[in-house]
Amino acid sequence: MEQEKVHVRLLTVAGVALFWMAAIFGRVAYLQLFRHSEYLARAAKQQRKRIDIAPKRGVIYDRNLRPLAMSIPVQSAFAVPSEVKDVGMATRLLAGVLGIPAEEIRQELESENTFVWIKRKLAPDKVEAIQSLNLKGIYLQEENQRYYPKRDMAAHVLGFVNIDEKGMGGIEERYDDLIRSKAEKVVVMTDGRQRWYDGGETLHDRGANAVLTLDERIQYIAERELAAAIEKTHAPAGSVIVQDPNSGAILAMANWPRFNPNAATNSPDEARMNRAISAIYEPGSTFKLITLAAAFDQGLIRADEVFDCENGAVTVAGHLIHDHKRYGMLTVADILANSSDVGAIKIALRLGSPKFFDYIKGFGFGTPTGVDLPGESRGLLHRLDHWGSYSIASVSMGQEVGVTPLQIVTAVSAIANGGLLYKPYLVQKMMRGNQVLAFEGPETDEAKRVVRPETAATLRRLMEGVILHGTGKAARLDGWTAAGKTGTAQKIDPATGRYSPKNVIASFAGFAPVNNPAVTVLVTVDSPGGFPHDGATVAAPVFKKIAEQVLPYLDVARDVPLSPQLMQTAYSTKMENDEAPLDDLAPIDFSAPLEDTKESVKANSTQTTLQKLPEVMMAVDEGGDIAVPDFTGKTMREVADGCLKLGLNPVLVGSNLAIQQVPAAGAKVRRGTKVTVEFGMQPARSGKAH
Amino acid sequence: MPLSANTARVPSEKVAVMTTRSLRREVMGGNCKKPATAEFYTVKRIDNSRLVRHMEPAKMRNLLRTAALGGVIAVFFMLYVYQHFRCIDMSFQLEDLKGKQVQAAELNGKLKLEIATLRDPHRIDVIAQHELGFKRPEANQVREYVNLDGAEVAALEYTRLNRAP
Repeated sequence: MEQEKVHVRLLTVAGVALFWMAAIFGRVAYLQLFRHSEYLARAAKQQRKRIDIAPKRGVIYDRNLRPLAMSIPVQSAFAVPSEVKDVGMATRLLAGVLGIPAEEIRQELESENTFVWIKRKLAPDKVEAIQSLNLKGIYLQEENQRYYPKRDMAAHVLGFVNIDEKGMGGIEERYDDLIRSKAEKVVVMTDGRQRWYDGGETLHDRGANAVLTLDERIQYIAERELAAAIEKTHAPAGSVIVQDPNSGAILAMANWPRFNPNAATNSPDEARMNRAISAIYEPGSTFKLITLAAAFDQGLIRADEVFDCENGAVTVAGHLIHDHKRYGMLTVADILANSSDVGAIKIALRLGSPKFFDYIKGFGFGTPTGVDLPGESRGLLHRLDHWGSYSIASVSMGQEVGVTPLQIVTAVSAIANGGLLYKPYLVQKMMRGNQVLAFEGPETDEAKRVVRPETAATLRRLMEGVILHGTGKAARLDGWTAAGKTGTAQKIDPATGRYSPKNVIASFAGFAPVNNPAVTVLVTVDSPGGFPHDGATVAAPVFKKIAEQVLPYLDVARDVPLSPQLMQTAYSTKMENDEAPLDDLAPIDFSAPLEDTKESVKANSTQTTLQKLPEVMMAVDEGGDIAVPDFTGKTMREVADGCLKLGLNPVLVGSNLAIQQVPAAGAKVRRGTKVTVEFGMQPARSGKAH
Repeated sequence: MPLSANTARVPSEKVAVMTTRSLRREVMGGNCKKPATAEFYTVKRIDNSRLVRHMEPAKMRNLLRTAALGGVIAVFFMLYVYQHFRCIDMSFQLEDLKGKQVQAAELNGKLKLEIATLRDPHRIDVIAQHELGFKRPEANQVREYVNLDGAEVAALEYTRLNRAP
């Protein structure tokens, strides 16, 4: 009996337990099988979070990978107005911290938007202050801020960005789609405490880095010398371009006025204009290079041919043109050296308008050069059928034609490198990580031949004459040969519509060394004050200063022996007694062995701190120890053999026997120096005038 | 006292009686000289068949086999659960480290910016000229060395090395 009761109880308990388990498992099965997708979606909604990744721009480097523009993350404050409980208090606190008018903040907080910016891209101290306020509804979001650490250096080349990191001007605009990465949304998984446990995958489209052809040091030299010239002449504007004539790469592009791209909106539009590619001006006498290049290339003139410059005045199509001096009989070389307008006109008249126009177009005038910068001007060149009877005379002197500084320097580079017109470019390569990207830049591989090599060689020699005994004496370099042309172009007075005698554009275009040119430099100064204010006085000295600093920086060997002047450069320190006698200086003993020399140099340098004014002698490489032979009268084979035996690079121009050579016979050069030898018939000595 | 063969388990109906002599012999090893007395011992009936079940070996083996299999499955299940939660835990750590990496990268970027700012040629020029009193040498303030020998080449190298990167 009792056993039966126990049995019943056991069955009852078992039944209840069974029922309970069945209920639980049934519920679990229902949830898993029938409500699975619904709960999965709810879990995903709770756990997944979308994060906005702000676009980040790549770095812009100079040719030596020194950064010129870079972005770093900063915080921006935003508000969700619906979450802000006490608008008044939030307004007061934020206005106090950020320095923004309270009314502006109140308007944002009272708006019906779900998201409003309070202040973008805050300084770190402002971020800390906002965080410490701990206001509900006020949050911080990470964005990227573009910085230009060199401030206004190369500002016109780099450009700047707006608040949304979009490129405006310069390289930033030109390659904005590559430099700027795309905005991304990343999905992350979070736990109940909003901690991430699965960061998700980011897209791989990071901003590309740009490596420019600019050299930071050369850019600084160009900007510094231009600023000095502007200050000296009180000119309102100017530009300097330094280019590699053998490739078209731009090593420096400086403009005045300048602006700071870190605060670009604070600068006027005029300061942000890249005058080197946008400002059109009449080139003046520098354009005579094109006139002579065309005439030489057509074989219409010779360097020693004599022209009658009519005592400084000539009439063309009823217009009387005066030279700046009363020149009589001048050779073509002297016409260029002395910048005779009459001589240039006569040469152009012999050339004729159609051929002259073809050469002008061939040198790239009247069309954009294609440089990888936005806003380039094509210049101003009237169509040939619009040329008047007087146009050929005007254009031969560099008037009635508008050019940009970049067009001029590109044309001069073509003369410097032997007749090849290279397209100027600024971007060497675009990289993403270690991968070099293919990008649409100027087609730098295609160079166009505009004149023959012998024409270019002749012009180089004549341009050297401009510096040696012409108008460009102020551009003569100490230690290097140089060639160039001055230019003084009158500007049109807007009041009268005629050329102003006072307002001119002074320019100098040149390259150095003459043989194997390493750099081409163009200096333009707009409306320099004072008198004289021509290219020879204003621009040529700037060319000299820039070239004399750039050439040693580029390790270009001197090809002209220096005059043996030894001067001592002393450090002047902030001491009471600045009159330290030179007798106390301890010269550095360069005759000691290497280790001792270094030690003695170190020892001397440590002594210089505040006690002594040390002597510093900068030792430089001498020009070379190979004397160039005299090749006059020799055949091509003899010249080539002679050069190769000495380790020189022969450049043979023309045919028959050698008549001219650069460098001259007896010059001391280094191994590998290019020696240009011109071949031809001996020139006639009649000297008949034209 | 262990039971000998004479007093092995006997059915409950029977009562084992042992003489004293046999007992003595049993206890004392057979060489005793004491006089025998009559003692009666009863054997308790111990029926533990209901408590100690006799298990069949085959069934026991099956049971053990099943238990082992269940144990293995349980271990694997626990291992899986452990790995799952360990993975989540490591994900948290990974995200922490990623966050630190991002912070380090940001700091690196800021330091690079600072370096670039400090290396601004204009800034260095101003410091050199106005604070340290340096003067820029002119182009002709150089000494030309002709026919360089060993020592002068060393000086030249020193001069070249002085150029900042």
